[in-house]
Amino acid sequence: MSGSGDSGAPARASEPRQRYVLDDRGFDEVPKKYRKFYRRWSGADDELAPNEVLCPICKVVIRSTRELRPGDRVYCMACMARLEVVAGEGGRLEADVIY
Amino acid sequence: MGQEPADIHDMDPQLFQERVHSFEFWFEAVQGYLAGKTYGHTPDLKEEGLDEDEKDRLITVLCNYAVGETAALEGSSGLVGIAPNRNTKLFLATQVVDEGRHLEVLIHRLQDLGVRDAEAEIARRGSPKLVEFRRRLLDLVASKDWEAAIFAQNVILEAMEFAVFRRHAEGADPVTREVLLGIIKDERRHIGFGENELGRRLQSAPHVRARLGEVRRELDPLVLASFDDVTEKIGLSRDERPELARSYLRAVERLGFTP
Repeated sequence: MSGSGDSGAPARASEPRQRYVLDDRGFDEVPKKYRKFYRRWSGADDELAPNEVLCPICKVVIRSTRELRPGDRVYCMACMARLEVVAGEGGRLEADVIY
Repeated sequence: MGQEPADIHDMDPQLFQERVHSFEFWFEAVQGYLAGKTYGHTPDLKEEGLDEDEKDRLITVLCNYAVGETAALEGSSGLVGIAPNRNTKLFLATQVVDEGRHLEVLIHRLQDLGVRDAEAEIARRGSPKLVEFRRRLLDLVASKDWEAAIFAQNVILEAMEFAVFRRHAEGADPVTREVLLGIIKDERRHIGFGENELGRRLQSAPHVRARLGEVRRELDPLVLASFDDVTEKIGLSRDERPELARSYLRAVERLGFTP
């Protein structure tokens, strides 16, 4: 599974997490070995996959090898932030900065 | 330094901090988008024909960007000396290099556009509000006020530049766009560093918040006036300007500073 284009519907906490094989989407702002964990955001119409969340600081899409759920911690290497995944409006996943 | 897990998000927080603040990380990151570029753009990129008015407006805008980048270069180099630990000193050293590069590519772009004496043109066209901001930033650095200086530089100034450059790049000529996109990629690290550093400080020393609130009240009008000086010249309609200012304000609001 590529990590994009899947249903954005949030899964139940009791269900096993979907796993994802990440591909390089050409994000060139971090060292090569980390590139697959990020992609560019193309604006409000850019639908995020269940393993993706938007960095609120620098607007880069952060990607994980597993489906994300509220409470998960992720890193944005482009702006060096540590983030916590939270449920936003309508259950959509968002990220809060952990200082 | 410990082993890295298969998924970067499982990395130990301390290891992550060490990794992203290092020169090694910076070098590998900038290679990704600067390798093969000359003065910030693809060497054979074709110039788009700008008429005299468009060129004149662009020169004024780039002169103002150069004032901002000069402030950031002088500010970040001064901050290395008062940075509280090794990670912040190393990161700021990479930021000094970034800011020096930004100033250089902007001056080179001005020369491409026919400006013979870039220093004189920058002095002539620079917004007085931005020049005042630079003076206040350097005062904060000289007074060794780490939190206030990082707030002014890596949150207020960098957030303003990030918002303006992103919007400008959308409608700029191809050469200017590439130059700006390269700068924006550097700015992501700078704004992230500033917000995270201050966020941590505010948690451990909440009394700092009141002082930074004062700094914000003093510098906000200078920043917002600088926005006004530039936004019309990069082709933004009056309707679009509040949204651009909001994207700047969101960064300071995440740290808990409300108007």
